[in-house]
Amino acid sequence: MNTITIEKPDVKIRVRDLDFFYGQTRALKSINLSLARNEVTAFIGPSGCGKSTLLRVLNRMYDLYSGQRATGEVILDGENILSPGIDVNLLRARVGMVFQKPTPFPMSIYENIAFGIRLYEKPPKSELDGRVEKALRGAALWEEVKDKLHTSGLGLSGGQQQRLCIARTVAIHPEVILFDEPASALDPISTAKVEELIDELSEEFTIVIVTHNMQQAARVSKYTAFMYLGELVEFGLTNRLFTSPEKKQTQDYITGRFG
Amino acid sequence: MMVSMNEANNVDQAIMQGSEDPGRIVVTDAVLADEPAVGVSASRAGVLRRFALDDLVFHTMTRGAAIAVLILLGGVIVSLVNGSIPAIRAFGFDFLDTQVWNPVTEKFGALAPIYGTLVTSALAMLVAVPVGLGVAVFLTELCPHNLRRPLGIAIELLAGIPSIIYGIWGLFILAPFLQTWVQPAIIAATGNIPILSSLFAGPPYGIGILTSAFVLAIMVLPFISSISRDVFETVPPVLKEAAFGIGCTKWEVMRKVVIPYTRVGVIGGVMLGLGRALGETMAVTFVIGNAHKISNSLLAPGTTISATIANEFTEAVGDLYTSSLIELGLILFVITFLVLAAARYMLMRLEKKAV
Repeated sequence: MNTITIEKPDVKIRVRDLDFFYGQTRALKSINLSLARNEVTAFIGPSGCGKSTLLRVLNRMYDLYSGQRATGEVILDGENILSPGIDVNLLRARVGMVFQKPTPFPMSIYENIAFGIRLYEKPPKSELDGRVEKALRGAALWEEVKDKLHTSGLGLSGGQQQRLCIARTVAIHPEVILFDEPASALDPISTAKVEELIDELSEEFTIVIVTHNMQQAARVSKYTAFMYLGELVEFGLTNRLFTSPEKKQTQDYITGRFG
Repeated sequence: MMVSMNEANNVDQAIMQGSEDPGRIVVTDAVLADEPAVGVSASRAGVLRRFALDDLVFHTMTRGAAIAVLILLGGVIVSLVNGSIPAIRAFGFDFLDTQVWNPVTEKFGALAPIYGTLVTSALAMLVAVPVGLGVAVFLTELCPHNLRRPLGIAIELLAGIPSIIYGIWGLFILAPFLQTWVQPAIIAATGNIPILSSLFAGPPYGIGILTSAFVLAIMVLPFISSISRDVFETVPPVLKEAAFGIGCTKWEVMRKVVIPYTRVGVIGGVMLGLGRALGETMAVTFVIGNAHKISNSLLAPGTTISATIANEFTEAVGDLYTSSLIELGLILFVITFLVLAAARYMLMRLEKKAV
């Protein structure tokens, strides 16, 4: 796309000529954009514009469903993750994902986090305890759950469950974290906590967040991509995009004229 | 909110005042006064009265159906106990731990059929649970889309085959096959291994405990797999995606997320299968060999409770013989009840652990 105004950032993921198909339907149309390392990039746009689809390409979640395919290139640290030779399980451990609805696994709070760690490493018990604590502290959840680590994760409130899911994702040391509308099912206080967390996490991780909430995008992200009908309409620094959008469509959307 | 409710109540003033619910009258009294629509409330009263009548009829009918079940259950228990009284008087608790079954001397003991019932069912579950779960996992997670429906339908058809057909097939096809090909091989292979050699000892009869267990396994497999498949499909896709999202393989997702999430339903399916295996009569009667003895070998003929009853009821002469068969039925009833109770208890503990 034209006029991509990143002042030579360190690029973590580069998307090139990406098309995406649900069966015959073309859901993404030659997307080109770069995601900066250790920054927050937000995808905004009306429902059905393809922002979640784009997110799901970044860790190949679409692979689980037959009939969905992507063409083009998505380069993660020099490696095209769309190429068939990629180990998708390993990819998903590198590119973590937090969903719209909290998805704690049917096990204890402790196990929810330890489970992911044990998939790829076999740390001794003491180290594992430390990792779990660190992840929970990282997700600002430790103080609330430290006395009930071995009770079910399903017993937590929605906001706590979502932070548990973030802790779980952080615990396996991914490089990129994808957030798919992480706060849309949460109350304002939990939302504020999650946003704060995203801000802190961006020091360590490259973060991509899909959101319907433009204030949220403006609050948490450094870069914003506005998508419409499967196309990337405008992409740039969040401040610039929200104050002086270049495209009329962007202008209309952020001022609430459609979408 | 309150106001609009009050207004609605007002319209229905006529009924309200005829109603016996004092709380609601107070509400209407408090607001009432200048409601104009008397005609409306009169016709509404009629409609509501009809609704109330409908409701009463519906309520009575469903409650009647529920009570009928209890009465039937009670009736079955009473007649089973009543029928077994002569046998219970004659043998007492010895009935449960004696192997003898001699209609001529009228000495009866239930140990052989109890043993046969439990062993065939246990062996059947040993085969059917892993295979059934495997089928369900394949159908929900791994199977290509265009194969899913045909395979699912095939499994449901398997569940619909009458048990007599399994019996015939077991006797004329499976038993000779096992006799010629499988059993000699097992006997040869385990001949020198201490415990296994006695488990698989003796001539290959074809029919026997092991063959019955196989037939039972095939019969309960569709229950286990179709119920497991249904409950596997209730797992929210996003939960599976979350597990894939931290790098799980399909096996890990199944093992750590899908099965724990659905364990209550899966156990329900297994118990339904076990219930069927315990009570299955016709197919087992065909292939078990109907021998009232307990043999160390799984290849030897044996009998089960239901097979004994089916085989011998028509020729049971004398009160004690008949009564012994009825007592067998009572024992089967108790075993099934215990299995169900154990399943309930297990589910309760699982649920407590989950919360």
